[in-house]
Amino acid sequence: MKRTVGEILVRSGIRLPLILWSLAVLYPIFWMFLGAFKTNAEIYANPWGVPESFEFGNFVSAWTEYNLDTSIFNSLIVTAFGAVLCLVLAIPTAYALERVKFKGSHALFTLYISAMMIPMVLGWIPLFFLLAQFNLLDNIFGLGIVYAISQLPFTIFVLTSFMGTIPKSLEESAAMDGMSPYGVLWKIVTPLTTSGIITVTIMNSIQFWNEYFMALIFLDSSENYTLALAIDFISNEAQYTNAWGVLFASLVIAIVPVIILYSIFQRRISQGMTEGAIKG
Amino acid sequence: MVQSKKQKYIFLAFCLVPTFIMFAIFTLYPLFSGLYYSLFEWSGASQTREFVGLDNYVKLFNDGIIPKTIWHDYFLVITKVFGIMVMALFIAVALTQLKIKEAPFYRIIFFFPNIMSVVVIGILWMFIYNPNLGLVNSGLEAIGLEEWTRPWLGSETWALPSLVLPSIWAGIGLFMLLLMGGIANISKSNYEAAEIDGASEWQQFWHVTLPLIWPQIKISILYIVITTLNGSFIIVQVMTGGGPNNSTHVMGSYLYQQAFTQYNFGYGATIGVMILVLSLVTVLILQFLLRREKVEY
Repeated sequence: MKRTVGEILVRSGIRLPLILWSLAVLYPIFWMFLGAFKTNAEIYANPWGVPESFEFGNFVSAWTEYNLDTSIFNSLIVTAFGAVLCLVLAIPTAYALERVKFKGSHALFTLYISAMMIPMVLGWIPLFFLLAQFNLLDNIFGLGIVYAISQLPFTIFVLTSFMGTIPKSLEESAAMDGMSPYGVLWKIVTPLTTSGIITVTIMNSIQFWNEYFMALIFLDSSENYTLALAIDFISNEAQYTNAWGVLFASLVIAIVPVIILYSIFQRRISQGMTEGAIKG
Repeated sequence: MVQSKKQKYIFLAFCLVPTFIMFAIFTLYPLFSGLYYSLFEWSGASQTREFVGLDNYVKLFNDGIIPKTIWHDYFLVITKVFGIMVMALFIAVALTQLKIKEAPFYRIIFFFPNIMSVVVIGILWMFIYNPNLGLVNSGLEAIGLEEWTRPWLGSETWALPSLVLPSIWAGIGLFMLLLMGGIANISKSNYEAAEIDGASEWQQFWHVTLPLIWPQIKISILYIVITTLNGSFIIVQVMTGGGPNNSTHVMGSYLYQQAFTQYNFGYGATIGVMILVLSLVTVLILQFLLRREKVEY
């Protein structure tokens, strides 16, 4: 009996920090949503409370005065283009590395994987001039290419581990039936790797949608801004214009797609990220 | 498989070559030419590129801001490793060992900041630290500690420590999951044996849990160190831009400033080389320090 009393105390003693930390995580996010519906006067008068009435004025001015529609569009294009390009480049390589025996496959795999740990900051300076030469600087497709290649090692890593679980006999019997290796790759292996493809694509998309620093370096004109850059711009402006409500509204716009993806694919996302970290 | 050697090589080339060319152009070439750029003085316009040998490296050693940026990076590394590991370990143990019903709820909530954009995290925390509107200062006032309130991000002393909390806030979830994975793999019999030997829960933690999840702890520490050295500048750039008065500049944000706002591309590349060398050396040293016989019971 004594033990159970002690246990109850220990339990609640341990629950308390858990509850406090959930508040620390949830409250700022929740508050960001509230702020998006507040007028500036309300934000100053009552920064951490509930708005008196819910108004969409901040979203409207984010949309019209700060051209957030263009930035959202750019972010969507970069995200989709980067994610697709990354898959197109990664699937054949992952298959060859995992299933076709050839000299140097291990070395090539190691090369790709070790690129996950190398700080790319150094590469960004030459990359800047390289993109300028290709006329891809200040171009969302140029940025999309850079994004795709930056996630290539991670994507190859995840896809090889998924392809490793496909039984070899399926490929062999397809080859017996006279299917070319190209057919095996696109018609047998790729469909069977769907789960892995979905996992990496969700994670790459979140990554590209959120990315800020490469966009800062490789984009310049405001009509090419991605959402992250536009928000950073609004945030810097807000020091002078005090357009905090608009800033919150744009933060909400940036985070809602991530929340939706997370609520649907929570398990995949957390598993994918942990596996990526274990390898790195 | 019935196919000629030639067909096999054509297929391999089809699979590997286009990807590798793209990877070489956009990853390998920039990294290596970054090393080469560091030997030049260059403001970006091609006419003015001038070979200066190791001059940029001499400049690096004589630049008074460089030691500060290195210290700031390692300050973030050390505080993040301790903060994240202690909290992630606590949460991981609490969520796995003590049968808490709502454990999945906590797991889902705690992980979410890991997939938030650094821009969102940074701006959110700029508000939390805002001297007039912010949660921190109003909280301190509410509990009667007015003299503790300060312009957190505007203070040379407090700006850098203030960056630690958002990084921990955003980082814990991933490592909590990593450690939970490790704990889940420990067989129940280890704990039963410990209990029979009369070990308290605390002793079980130190002598069973901790040694058995050492591989996960090691991976977590290495991962925090690598991601901090390679990426801490992003949150710095968003929240303080290196200020006030260089008090929060880390190596990466200083590189950005030198290369992309002051157009010293050669010197920027030199800082990049320093980041590369320091992070590789740090990882090697850490791997040596953290090596430990694998424990099996």
